[in-house]
Amino acid sequence: MNASFILFALLNTGFVLLVSPLFMSLIKKVKAYAQGRKGPRLLQSYYDLHKLMQKEVVYSPNSSGIMRVAPYLNLSVIIVATLFVPIVFVPEAPAGIGNVIIFLYLLAIERFFMALCGLDAGSTFGGMGSSRLMSLSAVIEPTMIIAFAALAYVLKTVNLHEMFSITAGSPIPVSPTLALISISLFIIIIVETGRLPVDNPATHLELTMINEAMILEQSGKNLALIELTHAVKQIILMAVLINILIPWGLAIRLTFAGLVVSCLYFLVKASLLAVLIGLFESSLAKMRLFRLPGFYMMAFFFSALTILMEAFT
Amino acid sequence: MYLLEAFVYGAVVALISGTFLPLLYHSKDARKTSFGLSFISSILLLVFAGVVLYTGKEPVFPAFGFLPGLDLTLAVDRLSAGFILLIAVVVPGVSIYSVEYVEHAKSEARKDMQAALTNLFILSMLLVVLAGNMVGFLVFWEIMSMSSLLLVLHDYSSEENKKAGFFYFVMTSLSTAFLFMGFISLFRLTGSAEFGPIDYPASVLTLPFLYLFIGFGIKAGIVPFHKWLPYAHPAAPSSISALMSGVMLKVAIYGFLRFLLSVSSPELWWGVLILIGGSLSAILGVIYALKESDIKKLLAYSSIENIGIIFIGISLYVIFKIEGFEALAMLSLAGACFHAFNHALFKSLLFLGAGSVIHATGTRDIEAFGGLIKRMPHTAVLFLIGSVSIASLPPTNGFVSELMLFQAYFHSSPLPNPLLKVLLIITLSVFALTSALAITLFVKLFGITFLALPRTRFAEKAAEVPKLMLIGGALPAALCILSGLFSRTLILLGFGVEIPDMLVLGLILIGTCGLVWLAVRNSGPSGGPRISKETWGCGILAQHPTMEYTSAGFSEPIVVIFKKIYRTEISSTRVYADTKGSIFKSGTASIHLIKFFEERLYLPVACAVSLVSSHVSKMQNGKLDTYLLYVFIAVLTLMIFTRFFA
Repeated sequence: MNASFILFALLNTGFVLLVSPLFMSLIKKVKAYAQGRKGPRLLQSYYDLHKLMQKEVVYSPNSSGIMRVAPYLNLSVIIVATLFVPIVFVPEAPAGIGNVIIFLYLLAIERFFMALCGLDAGSTFGGMGSSRLMSLSAVIEPTMIIAFAALAYVLKTVNLHEMFSITAGSPIPVSPTLALISISLFIIIIVETGRLPVDNPATHLELTMINEAMILEQSGKNLALIELTHAVKQIILMAVLINILIPWGLAIRLTFAGLVVSCLYFLVKASLLAVLIGLFESSLAKMRLFRLPGFYMMAFFFSALTILMEAFT
Repeated sequence: MYLLEAFVYGAVVALISGTFLPLLYHSKDARKTSFGLSFISSILLLVFAGVVLYTGKEPVFPAFGFLPGLDLTLAVDRLSAGFILLIAVVVPGVSIYSVEYVEHAKSEARKDMQAALTNLFILSMLLVVLAGNMVGFLVFWEIMSMSSLLLVLHDYSSEENKKAGFFYFVMTSLSTAFLFMGFISLFRLTGSAEFGPIDYPASVLTLPFLYLFIGFGIKAGIVPFHKWLPYAHPAAPSSISALMSGVMLKVAIYGFLRFLLSVSSPELWWGVLILIGGSLSAILGVIYALKESDIKKLLAYSSIENIGIIFIGISLYVIFKIEGFEALAMLSLAGACFHAFNHALFKSLLFLGAGSVIHATGTRDIEAFGGLIKRMPHTAVLFLIGSVSIASLPPTNGFVSELMLFQAYFHSSPLPNPLLKVLLIITLSVFALTSALAITLFVKLFGITFLALPRTRFAEKAAEVPKLMLIGGALPAALCILSGLFSRTLILLGFGVEIPDMLVLGLILIGTCGLVWLAVRNSGPSGGPRISKETWGCGILAQHPTMEYTSAGFSEPIVVIFKKIYRTEISSTRVYADTKGSIFKSGTASIHLIKFFEERLYLPVACAVSLVSSHVSKMQNGKLDTYLLYVFIAVLTLMIFTRFFA
């Protein structure tokens, strides 16, 4: 564990925590414009988090320690996951930090405890949310693994840090197949952050909701932690896509100028991606639950295609 | 240097005396001592295996005359030492747990039998792993099968258990039969019963390979030979399920590895066959487990899944070895062996936990549980650790072994054969689906069993189990976490393979948790959290357990998505009050889950066997002179045969 890594951990995590709520509001804003509304202020998510932090926490008498521990644990897990996705600069990390499989399974820990939270209070909504979340995340898993396996095939490494150094260090795209993988990664972002057509973050209708159903019992600062977890998870998934498809500007070595440039470039690129996600959401209707595996197959197809192209050339 | 061997002799003597003690002195103290002896033996074995693995010394044991020309020999190398270590980490927890657990058996005789047979069972598994040649292997293998059969038939009065015992007996005999054929064909080829390098071209080894794959596959529970597991586990006492699932299945893996590693030139199709068998077991095991609501059957299906994962690792070893990727081959083999070790730990932990839950509630049905985290908080924590490990979440041990296999897959891009690559992509996605479904499965198992309100009065009156049963579970739970955190050191020492460091990850995770807690601790109004009157439910007045999600409800989306695999048959009968069939009087309707392997594979085979044997039985008329005639004909045929053909 060297000084560069500790600096990276502080800067990267700080930056992510700082800007992640912004993109939640930005996507809401884009969707509101698409529907002809004005939408919330860009800083609204920050106000919401601040407000929730001041509120008292209310627990159901049926709930157990899982409900009390999980929000803290989940935020911590996602913060550790941010170490795997360099945004400010690519550090020299200890062995294992940056490994894609560990990254994916850190996200799985978050899902595991979120789903247990949903079941904890014994509410029908929570159980429904957990059941749907776990079923759908099981079906998306092959797609995620194959997408990252395709990345490993193309870039010849299983470490996200090394992948980003390769893509950011090359003046032209490393391989045209990266564009194919990016389609899969985009769909993975949509699925993992619970957006249309998979889940509707703006609804509280029991027929449609997945993620919102699980957090119905949460309140106060626990809810704030969960919302923040969600925002951070969204931004690191976006960062993976950005650093693979349009990595230019990401500092490979630690310099002050490089740091500032990386952050600014990232803000611009992430805003563009957020607008794209907002437009994508606005243009689609919610899919029926059991139509979703077909949607996932599309993402699977693009990454499998990449591996096939690599296999036969 | 006889000191090292003395550990093994000590362990064997302890286990033998542990077997006879409760049978001679029928008392609670005798049973306690008996489990104490198995605990001591496992500590001796732990030291022994540790020393052998660390120093690489291979102790030599004298041969025992068994039959003229057939000696029983014991031999230890690194492979067997690894599996002795596996036995030695599972047995302590099980033996501590059993001290209290066995006292809940129905009669004194059963308690004594269970204590004695547990020791015999452990002894036989140890000796199978220690066996130096095929003769010893088969002898001990049969003792292992028979002692476990008696344990499965422990509660022999129930009709269901009798059926389970019979099923297990048939399957395990079949396994032994295939092993006999495999070993005999190997013996004919090499002329030696010793385990040693087999330097023959793979083409002449086809039959031995297939025999041994099927023989060990039946015992390990590879699809389609898996059906005995979900029958035998619910019938056996939970401590025995822990041993059977944790250790006995691994003994079969050991036997298969022993053969496979000694073959100098395996063929590619061997690897492909094992890969397909492993992937099928993994995915079908977990899919069937999701549908199950009997806690022990569910865990049994999950064992099938994990055995599948181990076989995937073994097959990757074979494939990479043939293609000349030594490093990847070692990584896969290390992953397979480490997964076997991990599965022994967390599955024995989960079976012990399940035993506690069944003991507290008196039922095996998950739908009847709920809210146990409030009633049995310690058991719940242990069960959660087991669930997290088996769901392969970092930084536990279950994650590390899956990580190794995923890495082996991800690094497979330099393979020259494109078709092989396509096969690897397909099985990789199956593997990914399996491990994600396993997470879903254990969210369901833990969530429905321990969280929310109790669904029945069985769960309502449940109470925490005695202390020794908790300690018995705490041992494997602690080992699950420790072997996860220190996995890098373990794997580096055992296999010389470099893997990501879980200790660093674990420390970062704990540190972050602490920081987050410190940062958020003081925010919010003073006075701490408030406990409301009830869970919010759209304005209902009081929450009722029937409103909770059930086990079947939880897995419904999975069942719908994979409905092609769970084939259901809807049948209905109607009785009408009038002759024209227009006024409905009564009727039945049922949804029947087609047990594909049982109805389409096992039953036809069983019918064919019984048809043949019904013809054969006609020859048995009970008269001595007829039998003498048969003997005469047999001798005559043999003489003619040897004269002209041999």
